[in-house]
Amino acid sequence: MRLLTHNMLSSNIKGVANGFPLRIEVEKVVEKQVDFNADFLKNMFAKIEWKALVDASRSMGYSELPGDANPSMLDSDDFLQKFHHALLELHLEEGALVCPETGRKFPVNKGIPNMLLHEDEV
Amino acid sequence: MLLKSGVLKDPVVCLSAIVCYPRIFTTMNEVKADNACNLCAPVSGGESFVQQSVPVSLNKRCSSSILQSTPEIEKKYVHRVYDAIAPHFSCGNGKYLGLNPNCYFIGCDISAPLINICADRGHEVVVADAVNLPYRTGYGDAAISIAVLHHLSTECRRKKAIDELVRVVKKGGLVLITVWAREQEDSSLINKWTPLTENYLEEWIGPSSHQIRSPPSSFTLESIPEVEENGSGEHLRDFKELSCSMKSPGTIHLASQSQDPSEKGKNGENQQEYFIPWHLPYHRAEVSGASACALANGLATKDDKKGAVVYNRYYHIFSEGELERLVSGMDNAVVVDQFYDKSNWCVILEKR
Repeated sequence: MRLLTHNMLSSNIKGVANGFPLRIEVEKVVEKQVDFNADFLKNMFAKIEWKALVDASRSMGYSELPGDANPSMLDSDDFLQKFHHALLELHLEEGALVCPETGRKFPVNKGIPNMLLHEDEV
Repeated sequence: MLLKSGVLKDPVVCLSAIVCYPRIFTTMNEVKADNACNLCAPVSGGESFVQQSVPVSLNKRCSSSILQSTPEIEKKYVHRVYDAIAPHFSCGNGKYLGLNPNCYFIGCDISAPLINICADRGHEVVVADAVNLPYRTGYGDAAISIAVLHHLSTECRRKKAIDELVRVVKKGGLVLITVWAREQEDSSLINKWTPLTENYLEEWIGPSSHQIRSPPSSFTLESIPEVEENGSGEHLRDFKELSCSMKSPGTIHLASQSQDPSEKGKNGENQQEYFIPWHLPYHRAEVSGASACALANGLATKDDKKGAVVYNRYYHIFSEGELERLVSGMDNAVVVDQFYDKSNWCVILEKR
């Protein structure tokens, strides 16, 4: 699971008002190189919840992202490279995603989050 | 599935994907072009989306108790079957994912084995349920749901799945939904399917599943016996009877075919609930021991004539106009296109 995916995921348990962002529990992180595409990053930037990405990347052991970001930073190649790495190259291979309200853990195995709810959660 | 008429009987794709396009409003055209298989061909050049909302409102309310639990028929004849046959999907899943380097696709399916296949191909995927998508509201630029809704066994669940697709896209975002049509291009195909009887559906889904059922406790959720240890469970027996009827022409099967569809309509028995077989030839079945297991626990049967292990999957096939009717009552989405393609009903919604 990439952090771009993490930035889209939310706990959808019945009664949970704000299931985003899911906290990350790390067992294993892998890095996979992806072609750098500045346009992709620039366009995706507007969609990203920045704080969630920063916290997520820190929990994955990467703390190079600035705490705050604004569109003017997209002109900086250094910034884009870090953004690229955090967003697309870090993968949570094993671990869990934790609902911020209920503490319910969604397991991540072989890089795949299992977001299925139990019957009493829907 | 569906996408190539020749392989219609063996659908291979059930997927909901959420799509993010960094570029604004190339949206569905890209999806169309990219799904090179003919699914979307009839609407290519769809820049002139015509709004054709159908003003029929859905009066059926969905109580949460109905949505709450996945009906047993889906658990066994959709989830477990796809789990079992996933390894044999050679042309595999995830064919819509990762098509365009400028788009970001996330695929989801309820079948972990199918999702594993996608993941092995480097796709970004999540195991999730179509009636409860795990995405933030309003995030995606588009969502596609290919051959998913016809595996949901009540109208409430089908409706909820559509609500979810609309929920996860942004305002102005598009949702493409395709489902199997009762009106098959090859109308003889339907004769190879096993119609499910009212009694059967009541047992599996609950009496008159379209209506609100007051005591949620009346849902029986006991699990299906894995093996026939306590004699064969009733469900298993029923299944075997149905399977047998498939193999011996002349029973239930032919009887229901003697009526043409319009006649059935008049009689008020528009058959839409079916078991649809998926054949795994013996020589391929040996590849995984799963088949022996599926045979032992009643998930599959043997057809010696065809030399294949037969898995039955539950389908609710859609009648003409049904999909539009399902989506027409929505206050946050309008129908921008609807069409029939290769034995599928398809609709494109735009979120308002």
